[in-house]
Amino acid sequence: MNISQRIILIIALALTAIIAIGGYAVLQSRQDAAEVRFVTGKIVPTALASSDLVSRLKDVQLGVNVFVAETNPTLLPQLRDQLLAKLDPLKESLKIQEAGANDPKQRAIVEETKETLAGYVDAINETIRLKLAGQHELANANLFGNVAPIQTAIESIVEAIRVEKNRAKDDAIANLAKRLSATTQATAGATTLMVVLLGVVGLLLYRQITRPISRMQVAMGEIAHSQDFTRRVPVEQKDEIGNSIIAFNSMIEKIQESSEQLKQKTLDIQSMLQNMPQGILTVIPGNRIHHEYSAYLEQILETPDIAGRDLMDLIFSSTNLGTDSLSQIETACSACVGEDSMNFAFNEHLLAGEIQKSMPDGRVKFLDLNWSPITDENDVTVRLMLCVRDVTELRALAAEAQQQKRELEIIGEILAVTQEKFHEFIDSAIRFIDENERVIRAHDAFDPGAVALLFRNMHTIKGNARTYGLRHLTDTVHDAEQTYDELRKQRPSLAWDQTQLLDELSRVKASIEHYAKINSVSLGRRGPGRRAGVERFLMVDREQIAETLHRLEEVNAGNIHELLAARDAVRRTLRLLGTEPIGKVLDGVLASLPSLAQDLGKLPPMVEIEDNDIVLRNQVGGMVKNVFTHLIRNSMDHGLEAPEERKAAGKALAGTLSIRLDIADGMLAIKLRDDGRGLALEKIREKATSVGLIHASRTLDDEEAAQLVFSSGLSTANAVTDVSGRGVGMEAALEFIKAEHGSIEIRFTDDRKGAPFRHFETVILLPAAVCERVDGLHGDGAIGARQAPMANTAASASADPTNTVGSRA
Amino acid sequence: MAQILVVDDSGTVRNELCDFLTANGLTVSSAVDGKDGLEKLKADPGIKLVVSDVNMPNMDGLTMAEKIRSELKNTTTNIVMLTTENSPAMKERGKAAGIKGWIVKPFNGPAVLASLKKLAA
Repeated sequence: MNISQRIILIIALALTAIIAIGGYAVLQSRQDAAEVRFVTGKIVPTALASSDLVSRLKDVQLGVNVFVAETNPTLLPQLRDQLLAKLDPLKESLKIQEAGANDPKQRAIVEETKETLAGYVDAINETIRLKLAGQHELANANLFGNVAPIQTAIESIVEAIRVEKNRAKDDAIANLAKRLSATTQATAGATTLMVVLLGVVGLLLYRQITRPISRMQVAMGEIAHSQDFTRRVPVEQKDEIGNSIIAFNSMIEKIQESSEQLKQKTLDIQSMLQNMPQGILTVIPGNRIHHEYSAYLEQILETPDIAGRDLMDLIFSSTNLGTDSLSQIETACSACVGEDSMNFAFNEHLLAGEIQKSMPDGRVKFLDLNWSPITDENDVTVRLMLCVRDVTELRALAAEAQQQKRELEIIGEILAVTQEKFHEFIDSAIRFIDENERVIRAHDAFDPGAVALLFRNMHTIKGNARTYGLRHLTDTVHDAEQTYDELRKQRPSLAWDQTQLLDELSRVKASIEHYAKINSVSLGRRGPGRRAGVERFLMVDREQIAETLHRLEEVNAGNIHELLAARDAVRRTLRLLGTEPIGKVLDGVLASLPSLAQDLGKLPPMVEIEDNDIVLRNQVGGMVKNVFTHLIRNSMDHGLEAPEERKAAGKALAGTLSIRLDIADGMLAIKLRDDGRGLALEKIREKATSVGLIHASRTLDDEEAAQLVFSSGLSTANAVTDVSGRGVGMEAALEFIKAEHGSIEIRFTDDRKGAPFRHFETVILLPAAVCERVDGLHGDGAIGARQAPMANTAASASADPTNTVGSRA
Repeated sequence: MAQILVVDDSGTVRNELCDFLTANGLTVSSAVDGKDGLEKLKADPGIKLVVSDVNMPNMDGLTMAEKIRSELKNTTTNIVMLTTENSPAMKERGKAAGIKGWIVKPFNGPAVLASLKKLAA
């Protein structure tokens, strides 16, 4: 039942009550009125008529008496008529009483009266007859004897009627009074009952209406006050209140949704501000920093004290900007914030895009600044947003790339000059520089001859440098030459200043030495005569240099990833300069394997190279090649068995040589192993004893015995072959290695202690500086890590299988 | 008849701005101070935009702007200030005088041109 239904019910109940009470009262009063009418119209008149009956009887009585007493006979007829006339009203009255008799008692009395009255009338008529006949005494006697008693009887009966009527009347009136009072009471009672009933029902309905409303009011108030939009007002009824609550709840749900969205967005923004690697702040009126800014800003500016700070103080203090620029920025910001957005267009150009900010510890940060206005719906700039990016690394990378570019250009320049000519140039330039230094030191004042000499020398260097296209050198040389020229022409602006001149000279010398160093270290081009055919070791051709340079020039200096990639590529190129993969170093040695194998009556072995992206600097290339020539020959000669023997041992017919490069603990390890029979320890022991290296009484353990392979004069080969067994190879290799601060050792790879043959690998250890690890060395497929067995596999069966009784030389 | 009135006591700034605006197809007249500017504006009701310096002899730019608003009640002329400083008090006065914008010196021609054209239309 809804509220309007309830209100209609209340009104209907009230109306019903009023109608019921009214109807009841009307009904009652109508009944009462009928009763009153009955009493007044019926009972009272008959009561009154009963008195008439008495008086009319008296009239008749009087008439009879008068008639009888009359002495004048002439008057008698008249009196008789008068008397008879009086009988009729009496009869009339009795008729009335008969009609008004409303109970058996009355009717019985009236009946009795009627009968008595008939006798009374007869007696009167007898009396009249006697009188008229002149019989006065008889008439008189009849009167007293007959009429009078009847009269008395009637009188008493009529009196009884009168009394009875009056009693009935009084009863009726009393009844009426009682009835009227009952009506009043009943009406009052009904009214009271209705009022109470209506009150109770009304109150119930009222409470049904008001209670949920106040509950709703309280619940809504609480939700509004607590802002807890997860709460709902419970729906208890399906009425207007229930509908209102449902509507309210759905509104709350929408509010909850949007407040959650808002919360989520706020959280998103917060987390962006917290986590994005960007410094973001906003500038509010008064050039203050808004308290919400990105957390990364603290990292960039290296201070947690940002909120509310003055923009100029926070961002622009200790920067490379002059006071005028700072004033322009300050004024421009203030002219933009709180004004129409066109002001930003007017003044944006004054807002610095990049600044160099000194940190308290002296470091300088390059900050990229990006300004944008935050406008409201009226296009008024309410705040300025400033994105701060730390581009120090980017700038450093760009500078490094610049440096690399210079290096590459220098390399290109050097490569364009032949080895001998370059050395000639460097040697002569250093000679001229040294001479100039001596000249400057020898003169503490201006001397025309000295200046002329200085100028001539520097001019010669410059001329030579230009001839060879050493452009990066000519710039510094040109500067020095200019100085000498001005001194020569005695420009008043320039005085002879020894320190300054020496400084300048040392700059020129440094430039020349830089070129020389790149030539010898990076390019591995050492002085002529040290190693024949040295040009062969130049691994990087000029085209590649040009290509790398091009890449550096093309790079977008604003993109850190591009810069990093370019830098790494160039770095790789520079590191690869003057290096070779071991496969290339051993090219010649490995190429000779098939013919060597043929000579030894063996099949050419498989060669497996695992270089782990390590390349060797050219300085050790020759040494490694020499050492490996010996080691590989030993393996071929003593390690790998002839095909028949391998077949008998269940091995592949062709042997395998494995070369592996590793860097550990600052040392490069080059390891060689073969799948041959192993190191002939027993033979070594016997030989060592027989040649007197070891006293017969001493027993060598495996390691000591193995170490003997590096002793000169020990060869376990039964015959010295062309290939090995001369007993000097290993010793020579050892010397080469020692010259490069390295070592060589034999490591057993099995645990068969004391066995006549043990598997092993030869390990050459060299300082890691002799190699470079270059990631993705083989990524471009430039250099193969694995070499296929040599094509020439025609192993001759007739070849002497060389007495491979395990000696290594 | 001119679209823009340039008010600046510095001949250099005045000429530079006038030349720039003229070169970009705008008609320009100029005044040497606030008083001169006010008179020129009164004499030429066609002026849609006043670009004025702040610090000038006889009458400064802000006073001129205020006088334009009080003495030429019906004019809809836009006013833009050319300034080197911009204090909150100045901004307040400027707002009261209906100043549309602040161009901080040195101004950048291409950056201001589009907006000035709009204001002078």
